[in-house]
Amino acid sequence: MTPIHFAFSSTFMLGLAGLAFHRAHLLSALLCLEGMMLSLFIALSIWTLEFNSTNFAMSAMILMAFSACEASAGLALLVAMARTHGTDSLQSLNLLQC
Amino acid sequence: MMYMMYFLLFGLVLGLAAVASNPSPYFAALGLVVVAGIGCGVLIWHGGSFLSLILFLIYLGGMLVVFAYSAALAAEPYPEGWGSWPVLGLMLGYLLGVVSVGMLFSSSMYDESWMVCDEFGEFYFVRGDMEGVATLYSSGGFMLAMGVWVLLVTLFVVLELTRGMSRGTLRAV
Repeated sequence: MTPIHFAFSSTFMLGLAGLAFHRAHLLSALLCLEGMMLSLFIALSIWTLEFNSTNFAMSAMILMAFSACEASAGLALLVAMARTHGTDSLQSLNLLQC
Repeated sequence: MMYMMYFLLFGLVLGLAAVASNPSPYFAALGLVVVAGIGCGVLIWHGGSFLSLILFLIYLGGMLVVFAYSAALAAEPYPEGWGSWPVLGLMLGYLLGVVSVGMLFSSSMYDESWMVCDEFGEFYFVRGDMEGVATLYSSGGFMLAMGVWVLLVTLFVVLELTRGMSRGTLRAV
């Protein structure tokens, strides 16, 4: 595995681990999701540039547009949670707790 | 060039380990800004200056600014940085995991060359990555229309999610 491939693969896995093992705040989980999107953008851009297939740069732009959609939906959920629970602390999501 | 690239890639992994260890959102947003800046450096060193500009403008200047404003919702009196033990322990654990997986793959890691986008640059008239994005408006017109539609639908999704008074998608809000 080349160093660049290893770098953005491990960056994606670290973001995924940070999203899965979130601790206290919903916003830090959303920031880990943004980190995953960043690693995907860097991966697609570097594939475009390393293989000189410049038409593939389109995919990185589409990824950025869709990632903006996903970030805005996540932030809308954060705002909804702040309206109902008063905070974005994940311990307050305990309706299903026995 | 290889040393600079190794340095930038190391900064990328270290920065995202700092974000993934879940400190307080203030510090996580700061770490993500640093990681995006280093990622822009990686793209520039490969010759993709337009894609790096897009990353800075849209990602940092658009999305992360909104996250920084939303960090006001996560206000706490004693924000946990990387000085407190749960966060530092998670970060060291993640770095240990990355190093151990890297040692698994390290046999084939040093025998390739770095090819950047504008070698043989004397015969080029335009930037490669900018022309690649420009095909989004010519041959990729369908994906452009799909992107526009998705962004419009996302606007309505966000409005419905936060409509309030039980009139939107969530009854509780």
